Amino acid sequence: MIGIIARKELRELVRDGRLRLVAALVVLLLLASMAFGWRQAAAVAAEREAAQRTADALWVDQGDKNPHVAAHYGKHVFKPSGALAFLDPGVDPYLGVTLELAAHQRTLPRDAAAGDASSLARFGTLSAATVLQLFVPLLIIALGFGAWSGERERGTLRQLAATGVRPRQLLVGKALGVSGALGLVLLPAAVAAGGVALALGEGVAWSRLAALLPSYLAYYAVIVAITFVASARARSSRAALVALVGFWSVTCLVLPRLASDAAPRVAPLPSPDAFAAAVKRDLETGLPGAPREDRVEAHLGALLEREGFEGAENLMPDALLQGFELQAEAAFEDEVFDHHVEALLDAIARQERVSQWAAALSPYLAIRALSSGLAGTDFAHHRAFQTDAEHYRQALVRALNEDFARNAGDEGWRYRAGRDLWARAPAFEHAPPDLRWALRHNAVALTLLLAWLLLAWAAAGFTAQRVRVVG
Amino acid sequence: MAMLEAVGLRKAYGDFVALHGLDLAIEPGEVFCLLGANGAGKTTTIQLFLGFIEPTAGAVRINGLDVATHGLETKRHIAYIPENVMLYPNLTGLENLAFFTRLAGRDDLDDAALRATLIEAGLQPEAADRPVGGYSKGMRQKVGVAMAIAKGATALLLDEPTSGLDPKGSNEFSNLLVRLRERGVAILMATHDLFRSKEVGTRVGIMKHGRLVACMATDDLSHVDLERIYLEHMHD
Repeated sequence: MIGIIARKELRELVRDGRLRLVAALVVLLLLASMAFGWRQAAAVAAEREAAQRTADALWVDQGDKNPHVAAHYGKHVFKPSGALAFLDPGVDPYLGVTLELAAHQRTLPRDAAAGDASSLARFGTLSAATVLQLFVPLLIIALGFGAWSGERERGTLRQLAATGVRPRQLLVGKALGVSGALGLVLLPAAVAAGGVALALGEGVAWSRLAALLPSYLAYYAVIVAITFVASARARSSRAALVALVGFWSVTCLVLPRLASDAAPRVAPLPSPDAFAAAVKRDLETGLPGAPREDRVEAHLGALLEREGFEGAENLMPDALLQGFELQAEAAFEDEVFDHHVEALLDAIARQERVSQWAAALSPYLAIRALSSGLAGTDFAHHRAFQTDAEHYRQALVRALNEDFARNAGDEGWRYRAGRDLWARAPAFEHAPPDLRWALRHNAVALTLLLAWLLLAWAAAGFTAQRVRVVG
Repeated sequence: MAMLEAVGLRKAYGDFVALHGLDLAIEPGEVFCLLGANGAGKTTTIQLFLGFIEPTAGAVRINGLDVATHGLETKRHIAYIPENVMLYPNLTGLENLAFFTRLAGRDDLDDAALRATLIEAGLQPEAADRPVGGYSKGMRQKVGVAMAIAKGATALLLDEPTSGLDPKGSNEFSNLLVRLRERGVAILMATHDLFRSKEVGTRVGIMKHGRLVACMATDDLSHVDLERIYLEHMHD
């Protein structure tokens, strides 16, 4: 019974010339945006690889110098783009990709693609995600706004009712019909996405790609249900269309704007100058309640105790003690950096959360957060990269200071290390977190999307039971 | 037992009473023609039988089942042909018939059987595979009759099914009704066509302001008598 209805719906939709045109347009947009994303992702990856090679060569070929001087000289690392950035660039274009790692400083990533006037990122707004999240819902509205009202207007709903078909079967059949039509549009896109993922090679995030599929299907199921509710309740197809386009504009355009306006009020960020000044002040005096001298002393004491030199400072070679002092100082500085940078990142994360919670009012915001989270291009993934890089920086500086402490001997500050030591520093590798981590960081969006799904279908079922057959 | 039965059937919209306590029973093999001016309550009666609207008081029964409580089951027995049989314009006549017939639970009929039914209902064989969007009204009404035949309906609810048909189309439609009547189908038809009512109907009823004001068997009646009685009732 349901199959009969679904086939008839699909047949009707497929034979509608105007719908064919709109669907072809969406397919075209999807494929074009994906091809563009592919080109961009490949270019970014090549650029990053070249830059990292150059930076690594600069590091290794920096010449003979004191290890602590080398720590000042520092090293650049570049953020690898998410494996599915070609599908959903998320917030990546707006975030920095270059990080300078050196002693006595913790910097924030810079060189965002969006700030680069010559970059392809200017075009980047038309990503596959934009098409999937904004335009496909419009296609669903076009496919479904007349599903009930059109039947009522044509008088076929009376004929349907006279057959004794159950309203629920009609609802499910119609939903499957629309889904079938949608499937015809999305299938080429899904195949293309898999193809591009393969072509981009190395470490295809299949599990993430596989998780994106049901997420988008859930989103579309929400839109189908809402479309049906409007179509069944509205006075006419026209009224249903107006209501649905209104819903789309509010949830896809107005609410995201309001959410991003509200976010800074909920979690204000310091200005870059204020932030730098606060870090500078605390580096000089220490964090509130933990004066600089006390903390450096404490770190040095712990270090000496661990290395078995407790109470024997006077018997130690100068360079060794100096090396330990440098490490203790770095440990104190890291405390200050961690305190300020983590507070800043926490505030940004809170802003992100505002937008995730706003998904209670807009299914678009739910899928937007979830999609970029699964694509590995949301802020949480960016933060994971920063954390990894910071750990790498601390380990690098520590290793250099330690080499200085252990090997300088009588040479003291005149001691020089060379290529051997520089080459011994491991390359910076950032492996993006796994799928479960990504889901955990988008639990709010995921939960709200499922809530939308349940509520929208409950409403659709309720409405179908009570649909007016005549006028 | 009466196939179609209305008992004290009343329908009011606020202060306006569309139907004042109608009593009616139509046996298998009977064609009851409901006559009356527009707004007399004919369509309201048919829509109550279909369960599209709910009665204010009284009951409608189909094959002994109350429509209010057994809505979906009563649909198994009936076919409905409105003034304009509305179909899906993008689908062919055969596809439309197949859809509605299978939806009505008859999935045992294959395309050949359905095609034969369309021809039985008077549709030209070559029209069956053309989209319904290009059909005339008469052709759509024939698909409607084919739907009733294919479904094997035992009761037919017709709401001015021949209005707007040319005399030939109207005549063909009447012949189909006579054939269904002879098979024992109970038919309730709202119509303005006095001539056809006398030809096809076994009984005629005249409605006025929501009341059945006259009810007579057509056997005892000439065309002239029927028209006279009808016009007498229409005088206020």
